[in-house]
Amino acid sequence: MPEGVIVGGWGYVIAAYSITAAGLLVYTWSLISRLRKLERDQGNE
Amino acid sequence: MSRSFRKMNLVGALGLILLLVGSAIGLFVAPAEKHMGDVMRIIYVHVPSAWVSMLCFAFAFGLAIWSLWSGKAQADARMTGAIETGVVLNGLLLIQGSIWARATWGVWWDWDVRLTTSLVMMLLFAGVLALRAVVDDTHRRATWSAVATIVAFVDVPLVYFCVRWWRSLHQVQSTPDTLDPAMVVPLRINAFAILFVALWLISMRSRIELERRRQEEVEAPERIVFEGSPEHA
Repeated sequence: MPEGVIVGGWGYVIAAYSITAAGLLVYTWSLISRLRKLERDQGNE
Repeated sequence: MSRSFRKMNLVGALGLILLLVGSAIGLFVAPAEKHMGDVMRIIYVHVPSAWVSMLCFAFAFGLAIWSLWSGKAQADARMTGAIETGVVLNGLLLIQGSIWARATWGVWWDWDVRLTTSLVMMLLFAGVLALRAVVDDTHRRATWSAVATIVAFVDVPLVYFCVRWWRSLHQVQSTPDTLDPAMVVPLRINAFAILFVALWLISMRSRIELERRRQEEVEAPERIVFEGSPEHA
């Protein structure tokens, strides 16, 4: 085995990518929900 | 839905597609790093998140100056969008970095200068958002948060240059000179991807803020009538 190589580590990679995806999705969804509510309220005025 | 808003939806969709493509290349095509192995693949989300969060804060800084100069609602609204998006990306960056640190340094956190200044950056701009949440008056909120944004921005160049100025656990900035060419491609794709997604998020958040201001201005005349009405003389 070569020196200085971290073996495996895919768990860390999957964790980092999953949290990034989840964070972006949650924030995006919160903005889209607020915008839809605004458009509904504007439609009711 | 306005034309510009529809355009931004396309920008966002392009960003999401590029993010999928760049991540797939980074995860399955790009080679593993010599010392860190596959753990290094975190770079393809970590570095773009860092770059774009700092770009968001730089954008907010420019908008803060414009807001103070012009008093325009658009400037204030876009500044809010840029700060909020930057804080979200900054938070993700710290979590990604913590995971990477655990794998390579054996600890979740270290009070290293790069990590500490990044945390301070997030807290400063989160503080600007907190300030906006507690100030009711529209114009006062715009002025105070613009000033706070300009002050908070002082930390951004510190975050970027600290690895060159001081001794740090964290590596120096990633550039095409420091990376294998096969790694530069997914890094660039994801950098543009997250930039496009950020622009889309900023546009949505700005629209929400503009609507909030419009509603406040609609409600305000009622308050003035109430205070000056003959019943209260």
